[in-house]
Amino acid sequence: MALFRKTKYATLSARPGAHKDIASKCPGCNAIQFKEELEKNLYVCPACDYHFTLTAWQRISITFDENSFEEMDAGLTSLNVLNFPGYEEKLNRARESSGLTEAIITGKGLINGEPALAGIMAPEFMLGSMGAVVGEKIARMLERAGSEGIGAIIFSASGGARMQEGIFALMQMAKTSSALSRLHDRGVVYISVLTNPTTGGVSASFAMLGDINIGEPGALIGFAGPRVIEQTIGQTLPEGFQRSEFLLEHGMLDMVVARKDLKATLSRLLRFHRRGGRE
Amino acid sequence: MTRVLIANRGEIALRVIRACRELGMETIAVYAQGDEDTPHVALADEQYCIGPAPAGLSYLNVQNILTVALEAKADAIHPGYGFLAENPGFAKLCHSLGLVFIGPSPEAIEAMGNKTRARELMEAAGVPVVPGTGPLTDGAEAEAMAAEIGYPIMLKAAAGGGGKGMRLVEEQESLSRALEIARSEGEAAFGDARVYMEKYIQCPRHVEIQVLADNHGNVVHLGERDCSVQRRHQKLLEEAPCPVLTPDLRARMGEAAVRAAKAVNYSGVGTVEFLLDKEGKFYFMEMNTRIQVEHPVTEMITGIDLVKAQLQAAAGEQLAITQEDIEFRGWAIECRINAEDPQRGFRPAPGLIQEWQGPGGPWVRVDGVARSGWQVPPHYDSMIAKIIVWGQDREEAIARMKRALLETRVEGIPTTIPLHLEILASKDFISGNYSTALLGRLLEKGR
Repeated sequence: MALFRKTKYATLSARPGAHKDIASKCPGCNAIQFKEELEKNLYVCPACDYHFTLTAWQRISITFDENSFEEMDAGLTSLNVLNFPGYEEKLNRARESSGLTEAIITGKGLINGEPALAGIMAPEFMLGSMGAVVGEKIARMLERAGSEGIGAIIFSASGGARMQEGIFALMQMAKTSSALSRLHDRGVVYISVLTNPTTGGVSASFAMLGDINIGEPGALIGFAGPRVIEQTIGQTLPEGFQRSEFLLEHGMLDMVVARKDLKATLSRLLRFHRRGGRE
Repeated sequence: MTRVLIANRGEIALRVIRACRELGMETIAVYAQGDEDTPHVALADEQYCIGPAPAGLSYLNVQNILTVALEAKADAIHPGYGFLAENPGFAKLCHSLGLVFIGPSPEAIEAMGNKTRARELMEAAGVPVVPGTGPLTDGAEAEAMAAEIGYPIMLKAAAGGGGKGMRLVEEQESLSRALEIARSEGEAAFGDARVYMEKYIQCPRHVEIQVLADNHGNVVHLGERDCSVQRRHQKLLEEAPCPVLTPDLRARMGEAAVRAAKAVNYSGVGTVEFLLDKEGKFYFMEMNTRIQVEHPVTEMITGIDLVKAQLQAAAGEQLAITQEDIEFRGWAIECRINAEDPQRGFRPAPGLIQEWQGPGGPWVRVDGVARSGWQVPPHYDSMIAKIIVWGQDREEAIARMKRALLETRVEGIPTTIPLHLEILASKDFISGNYSTALLGRLLEKGR
């Protein structure tokens, strides 16, 4: 006697491409990593220590104490001042896909109980490019840090100035730099965290102006990309060029801190530089 | 379902490949370095290396196994037993990748994997569990509960394991002192002084019921296996049927097992383990949500190929039989041949098998990978083969097993064969009237 009834077909739940929802290939070592595991490991590959690029909200959730982060100036949005063709569409697409209004989130929160003003760049929004709104949000955040006497941190992740805003974008380099200079005059600490990638006008302004410059391991940090430089100077670049570790060795960074140690490092630095000196 | 990846090694991988072949399914073997020349690799239609020898880097390497499954276009994964077989996370990942996990749902695995949860579910489903309590608050409560449950009782640390924080209490006089000790042991070992109480079952038998379920809510049981011959909870010899089970008790235990399976919407093959006491009372212990090592003894007395049934159920086929269609014929015994040295505390003894000559003849089955010139790897469990015999009755089965074991020649490594012969010759075993204490007593005597 047959144990089972013969059926013509069986239902399988095959879903092509389903693996992309649950796993991603590590760009560092090509090993397949499950998103759940990666999340637990702060989006760092457990096999090769590759630091995946974080979205702004991922960065906020792993850095700030739970429910402590309050966003500010969320209503500022970019306009197409130069009537650059296609810019509005691009902005709309970026807003839709990222759920953000601009390429940076600014606000105030607690890091291991230590208050901080912060700007978190969003690489998922037009590659974290800096336009007038990004510059304005940073300037306002730094102003507030100065008036409240609370340390400021900017997590950079950017392709540079936003070309669709032309000279207005480039102007943000000067604007953010002068805001930092005023913060400096007030004796308030500014920590710059350079993550993968920090390039162009961002690296040439506030990202490199920290009282303390911290790089994430393996982050690409530079002004022009390595290919452009190679073509310009006609030389092969050394290994590890423009990576955090290389920059540390050449005096451009103060430290390279693994993601798992970053929160503790930041809170320690904030406490140390708290106004009124050491505890 | 036409292409099955077998995420396992050794005899069970071979067993699954055989079932797949008979069903016309293609097989994909995965293997660790060092396992290249084992039969499960040779017999599969395709084979992929998934990492170095240690299991954590290969047979437990979920990433690599799933990568092979996707690249080789498998549509189902058979986990065998051990390794990833009872890992709900793995089953879940298979599902989300559109692969059939040959086993029950992740929810069923998870529910049965959590001791407290399983116990609650079983109680709700009317499956008897060992009478017990939640964490005890004070001595007076403990006394009242113990009186209700009946001595002897066992005190166990809530966070316990490995025998720490466990205290056997035979009578009321020693209860308060034992409670104190169990509490302080629990506190010292686990930082948790909570202690609960369970009825202590003296000299129980380990009797388990095989269930078979499809994805459409149909569940049948395929009778029991007696696995009381064990050393420190490691089964060594199994038989079916159980020598002391009456048809009535079999029916009641079978029904309880079916209720247990239905309580978690079980599908595929599974085993509900019970403790059976001297008065014929049985208590749910746990459910193994996978194929088991000792499944062949059930196959021998029912004529049902459990692994094929498992594959068919996973493919969504509907059971065509009912409980009444299942008949038991004769007696079957399985002996696990392990590369272990019973003379030296059962220490695993991997090494080179200089010569292997397996048994043959009527009603003798060998499921295994042992062969001459094979180096038993030290990285995995030490079982190298299972010898299974069938006889018209228990007496014939015992005689046949003795004959088969005596035919078997293994040179180069010590095995459990001499111990099996001793068990088969012991009065207690022959009488059929034995418990989980049998092997301990036998070993004690030998010393």
